[in-house]
Amino acid sequence: MPMVVKKMIEPAIDIKHVTVGYNADTVIEDITFKIDEGDFYGIIGPNGGGKSTLLKAILGLIPTRSGSIRIFGSSPKDARGFIGYVPQYAEFDKRFPISVWDVVLMGRRSVRGLYPFYSNEDKQQARRALKKVQMLDFKKRHISELSGGQRQRIYIARALVSNPRILLLDEPTASVDKEMQKTIYDFLTELNKSITIVLVTHDIGVLSSYVNRVSCLNRFLFTHDDDSVISKDMLEAAYQCPVDLIAHGVPHRVLDDHKKPSHDKNKGAVKK
Amino acid sequence: MSDSFLSLFELAFVQRMFIAAFLASISCGIIGSFVVVKRIVFLSGGIAHTTFGGIGLAYFLQYTMGWIWLDPLLGALMFAVATAFIMSAPLVKDRLREDSTIGVLWVIGMALGVQFLQGVDRSVLVIQDPVSILFGNILLINARDVYIMVALVVAILILTFVLFKDLQILTFDEEFACISGINVSMLNLLMLLLVAFTTVVLIKVVGVVLVIAMLTIPAAISGLFTHHLKHMMILAVLIGVFTSFTGSLFSLYFNLPTGSTIVLVMGVLFIFSILSRPIISKMRSGPNPNI
Repeated sequence: MPMVVKKMIEPAIDIKHVTVGYNADTVIEDITFKIDEGDFYGIIGPNGGGKSTLLKAILGLIPTRSGSIRIFGSSPKDARGFIGYVPQYAEFDKRFPISVWDVVLMGRRSVRGLYPFYSNEDKQQARRALKKVQMLDFKKRHISELSGGQRQRIYIARALVSNPRILLLDEPTASVDKEMQKTIYDFLTELNKSITIVLVTHDIGVLSSYVNRVSCLNRFLFTHDDDSVISKDMLEAAYQCPVDLIAHGVPHRVLDDHKKPSHDKNKGAVKK
Repeated sequence: MSDSFLSLFELAFVQRMFIAAFLASISCGIIGSFVVVKRIVFLSGGIAHTTFGGIGLAYFLQYTMGWIWLDPLLGALMFAVATAFIMSAPLVKDRLREDSTIGVLWVIGMALGVQFLQGVDRSVLVIQDPVSILFGNILLINARDVYIMVALVVAILILTFVLFKDLQILTFDEEFACISGINVSMLNLLMLLLVAFTTVVLIKVVGVVLVIAMLTIPAAISGLFTHHLKHMMILAVLIGVFTSFTGSLFSLYFNLPTGSTIVLVMGVLFIFSILSRPIISKMRSGPNPNI
């Protein structure tokens, strides 16, 4: 019971004055924001703006220089059991001898601990997660035998198999074709009914149609007072150039538009 | 085959040779698969070469201190384990470039070995010829060597069996291992210790320099034909047994140096496998497009 009360009060992710850097470089500086339970939160920003670094700090993979990160009131390391993480898929070694099934089972390690074998429950959960991403038929395949979008869904399944309360995704639709992008975002929207989702991307166009809250990150964090809004100012501050150059015709209230089915999604896309 | 050749198999040292080749194949198939998929071939080469210093030290201490009990393999084990610890030390990992550190340890180990062996008066203490230390002589394996090898192979099998799940995650995705609650630095150290144990098992069979061949070739061949780490290990063990037995027989029959004969048999099989793989993949339909 106390868990429920806690859940009501505490934000899913609470970041206060966080600064992170490697050696002499400061990658993100003095960032403060909150993500509430149930949010579909988008963080956009240019490449090298610190988006992945922020996710890694939330996961406790890199230390913060200052400030605090709390996940449901716990430190990042203690909260790892609550978080599912989908890294950029390009980082994987496709030659590694491993099947889809074994990749997804890996996600149960955080639950199973040091015990040498996966239990029947682990296998059931893996089957369920694969079904959820519609990849159960592919379970015996080698990871190199999948398309980019299929592989991305496998890594989402791996993140979901431990039943996390928050799902973090790093550029989930990079190197995925347009059609698969829509499939993945529709799936995430469905998933968002039961789980908090945070994703980082540089693709404003896709992002704006799905998320309910958003901020821009380029070393500093830029948010609108009403953070369901991407404003021209925010984008200009984050991308450090006039928005018209990078995102021709971004409407002032992009996020409101997604409710209208007639909205042309390509309008908001970042063209480089 | 002549009777005199067949009668060779009744000799204790020939039997030990096959036992040693079998033990070497088990350890190199299992740990070699990790080495290949984790891409730590060079690091493993470093660990293997530093053992030359340990073997030299063991002989040197036998000579100067009269420690006849100090088997050269124990000296090798000491140096291999020490190298694994040095490579895992935070100071080394975070401050230095890994490949440079490997290079430095590699040559220091070799140079120490030369110095120590030079310091032994061979008219007083009979020691193994440096060339056979470097390139192996499976016929020189004594009973104590076999005991040490068995102990190491048992340790390798138990540790790999118990930690397979975590080792698979670590080698596939270190970041995910960290998030999953695996103590990544400890497990990486353990991985290097397993490589160190394997190196010591292999030294007597193929020699310090050729250890890297046994550690990589069977696993590399096996990796061409399988999509599962476990299958890769089993197939690599079988390939190791086949090639080391064939190589040993060749060397006995034609009176060739054993270590290099085994390695050459492996090399030929590797080339043959690469050339035949497209055909086999086609037959199985479901090819891995990447080598």
